[in-house]
Amino acid sequence: MLNRLLPLSHLPRDSRDTLFLLAVVAWVVLPHAANLPAWTLLMACLALGWRGWLAWHARPLPARWWLMVLLLLAMAGTFWSHKTLLGRDAGVTLVVALLALKTLEMRARRDAFVVFFLGFFTMLTHFFFSQSLLVALAMLLGLLGLLTALINANLPVGRPPLATSAGLALRMTAWGAPVMVALFVLFPRVAPLWGLPADAQGARSGLSSRMSVGDVTELALDDAIAFRVRFLNANGAAPEQRQLYFRGPVFSSFDGREWKPRQPEELMNQVLYRRPPASLKTQGTPVPYEMTLEPNNRPWLLTLDATVEAPRLSPQIAYATPELQWVMARPITELLRYQAVAYPDFSYGPTGSDPLLRQETELPAGYNPRTLQLASELRRDPKLAGADDAALVQQVLNRLATGGYSYTLEPGLYGRDTADEFWFDRKAGFCEHVASSFVVLMRALDIPARVVTGYQGGERNPLDGYWTLRQSDAHAWSEVWLNGRGWVRVDPTAAIAPGRVGSMQRLVAPRGLVASALVTMSPGLMQSLRGMWEATNNRWNQWVLNYTQGRQLNLLRQLGFEAPSWEDLVLLLGGLLAASALGASAWQLWDRRQHDPWLRLLHQAQTQARARGLETPGVATPRSLGRQALERWGPAGQPLHDWLMQLERLRYAPPGQIGPQNTSGALKTLARQLRTLRWPALDG
Amino acid sequence: MSTPQAALPGGWARFNPASQARAWFRRWWQGRLPLSDLMTLSQRNVYILPTRPGWMLAATLLVLLLASINYQLNLGYLLTFLLAGCALAGMHVGHATLSGLSMRLQPPAPTFCGQVQTLEVVLDNPRKTPRHGIGLAVLDSADWVWTDVPAQGQSVLHLAFCPRQRGLHRVPVLSAETRFPLGTFRVWTIWRPAAQVLVYPQPEAAAPPLPPGQARDQAPAMAAGLTRGQEYDGVRAYRRGDPMRQVVWKKAATALATGSSALVSRDSAPAPLHELWLDHTSLSALPPEARWSRLCAWVLAADTMGLHFGLRLPQREIPPGTGPAHRQQCLEALALC
Repeated sequence: MLNRLLPLSHLPRDSRDTLFLLAVVAWVVLPHAANLPAWTLLMACLALGWRGWLAWHARPLPARWWLMVLLLLAMAGTFWSHKTLLGRDAGVTLVVALLALKTLEMRARRDAFVVFFLGFFTMLTHFFFSQSLLVALAMLLGLLGLLTALINANLPVGRPPLATSAGLALRMTAWGAPVMVALFVLFPRVAPLWGLPADAQGARSGLSSRMSVGDVTELALDDAIAFRVRFLNANGAAPEQRQLYFRGPVFSSFDGREWKPRQPEELMNQVLYRRPPASLKTQGTPVPYEMTLEPNNRPWLLTLDATVEAPRLSPQIAYATPELQWVMARPITELLRYQAVAYPDFSYGPTGSDPLLRQETELPAGYNPRTLQLASELRRDPKLAGADDAALVQQVLNRLATGGYSYTLEPGLYGRDTADEFWFDRKAGFCEHVASSFVVLMRALDIPARVVTGYQGGERNPLDGYWTLRQSDAHAWSEVWLNGRGWVRVDPTAAIAPGRVGSMQRLVAPRGLVASALVTMSPGLMQSLRGMWEATNNRWNQWVLNYTQGRQLNLLRQLGFEAPSWEDLVLLLGGLLAASALGASAWQLWDRRQHDPWLRLLHQAQTQARARGLETPGVATPRSLGRQALERWGPAGQPLHDWLMQLERLRYAPPGQIGPQNTSGALKTLARQLRTLRWPALDG
Repeated sequence: MSTPQAALPGGWARFNPASQARAWFRRWWQGRLPLSDLMTLSQRNVYILPTRPGWMLAATLLVLLLASINYQLNLGYLLTFLLAGCALAGMHVGHATLSGLSMRLQPPAPTFCGQVQTLEVVLDNPRKTPRHGIGLAVLDSADWVWTDVPAQGQSVLHLAFCPRQRGLHRVPVLSAETRFPLGTFRVWTIWRPAAQVLVYPQPEAAAPPLPPGQARDQAPAMAAGLTRGQEYDGVRAYRRGDPMRQVVWKKAATALATGSSALVSRDSAPAPLHELWLDHTSLSALPPEARWSRLCAWVLAADTMGLHFGLRLPQREIPPGTGPAHRQQCLEALALC
């Protein structure tokens, strides 16, 4: 074959088009690499490569039974990987396999269309896994590629350059964009139409509903964003960073290995309130804030301590637990935004002794004997005789600060008696070790105490003023109950490593090669690049991903609807449609006027002459029409003839006689004359 | 349905009320269309309907929307709506591909029945951008001819059709269509050209040899003239179809010199002894169409041989003559008899 010797641009058109489509399909499939079983990707690559080889050498396509075998293999593989053929993940695997196999069957136009439509569907499947800006950009490019290939497939003549199709695809996308925006803004957002399969919400990292020592450490290496906060103070100033404690799950029950909440995890059995505990007392200035919570697949909201009223969510409702945590009735599976007000200076819980507090001093028998020993030593310490609980707490904190304890990301594996190991053997740990050991010691001292998990600190993006909290900002601290004051936050980690709490410095996990090279080159560059990227990403989250029914109705409210409902949305959409149809017709009218006015005038004259009985077939020149008029009517046709000769002169007179500047004026005069022209009397 | 395509074949169509109604509707619809050799397409005569891939795209969009709703994917909504917007834009682009285009049919040349005749259609694009993927075909035939029309330019298409009957016929109804740009909409128009095409009878394939000539007995004066050999016995004005050798060039030259542009012919050509009459009565054994076929074949044969021949038809008699004009006259008479 001669084609083998020639470069790509000399391939036959069919081969070139097929190779281009295959490249686009590969672009659409490849970002799935992380989400699919390895065999699917391998199969897709092989199928696409095979098809490309066939196209390059202009060989015939494989027989149909080959495809049947491959299809059966793909289905068997899907069943083997997912144990089902239904559901989201199995569906994605099947769609990708089908798309790749279908390219081996592109015989007729119909097959090509199936490839295009499967391609569009594959693009959507990416959004199950990520809706980030990057994925969106990649898929926009994929969409343009598919449209280009589709347009190219509908150019039957010759060998049009792909750039022609690409240009039109770009223009069509630009024309489609307003439709997209209008529909996106106004299409009523409804709840899922039927129940989601169980795997709809994949595992997402974040705080856990229980804490065994070692959990938060995993989070420390996770740079993913947990949520973003914007402070809505008049001056936009944030509280001090060391006051930024965002409360998550609270753990009171300890079995020696694991901390659990006092109440059962299932919300149905929990005691829930629409308001925070009545014992909550606040002082100081309120801090209004807005939270954009990434989906965590858990029912809990994260709130700045202490949020005094239910965060404003519509249409869902947030509930408060007695431990001052705010939760929702169902897991948070999409980006959630809410506003609330917090008082960093607060106290809550019973001020006098309460039988319920007995539960907060329970320890499992047989664990941490040396810690219990330490507690009884402290109690017997003559220096502390008669000291109240607050003094004991301070004493323990002093021990942490001065006893050679250190804060580390790599504490190593802890054994059975975690508190003993921390206090006496290792003397090093991450916040969860510290908090857990501290609470165990407090309880051994008979002081009610519990572990609170959440996030602490954060990083302000100077570009848009949003604070970003990552999974690596996850933190565990403790609350102790002091007589007369109620529950008081004590952060033992702050006693060991003041840097962990309240400043930008935190322990940083090892970076990749490129990142570390960047940091070496310019330490500020990395930070500002990341800041820019995150500001863009945040805007994307705020405007696109977080566009929910609530915001939709808010928009209507701003447009002046009193009590907006989805019917109003439909109404607005219909109105917009009608308006754009009107606009289109107006444009069409205007466009028609843009046609050659001279020709229009001639056409008018011809139509009128025809209506009066002159038989003029087809298109006539002014001169021939004038001659016909004279032949038909004799002298009565003279005015029309003269007018037509004027019209002819306007266009065909030698330059200089009628300048181009008064052409339009002359045309207007002629049009006026045509209206008042003396026509011959009608026949009969 | 999307296409007013041909009805079901065979006898089934006759008893299918739906296809009958459709055929009736088509006749009625096409009867309303004006006859014109020049057609400028506008919103009035360009039709648009989704194709089968168009419905497939609609189904895909629905599935995408359902997935976006059920999995609450805002990005999925964006993709769905952008694709819908593109399809909408594609609809307009497709319509604009035909709308505004001018189609002009060049006057068709006469042809023989059963022979492929080409129609020449000029597509004229006044727009400043090219128009892509325009197909033209005789209505209901599947032989599409595709072309692109350059910006503010023209493109010429040749359509083949095969007339099945002799006589003067209208050019068949034409149809132009495009599926550009996405193939999801079929934009088409139906065009009834006013032009008529003359169809001669189909020349018989293996016609018997020409009949023998008859003695020229009825014109003795002519016979006298014959004896004078190459002498001419008078002149008259040139008539179309006179052979060149019959032109009196000397006379013509003097006539031209005096300012008159007329040629002069000899009044009488040197006539042969026998004159050849192609007479339909001699073929009365044949069915009529076969008769015209044979006559047609004979006319062509006689003309090729340069014979002097006449043609007798039921209503008409063409006196003996020769030359292309005579041939054409005979063929026309055969076409229309």
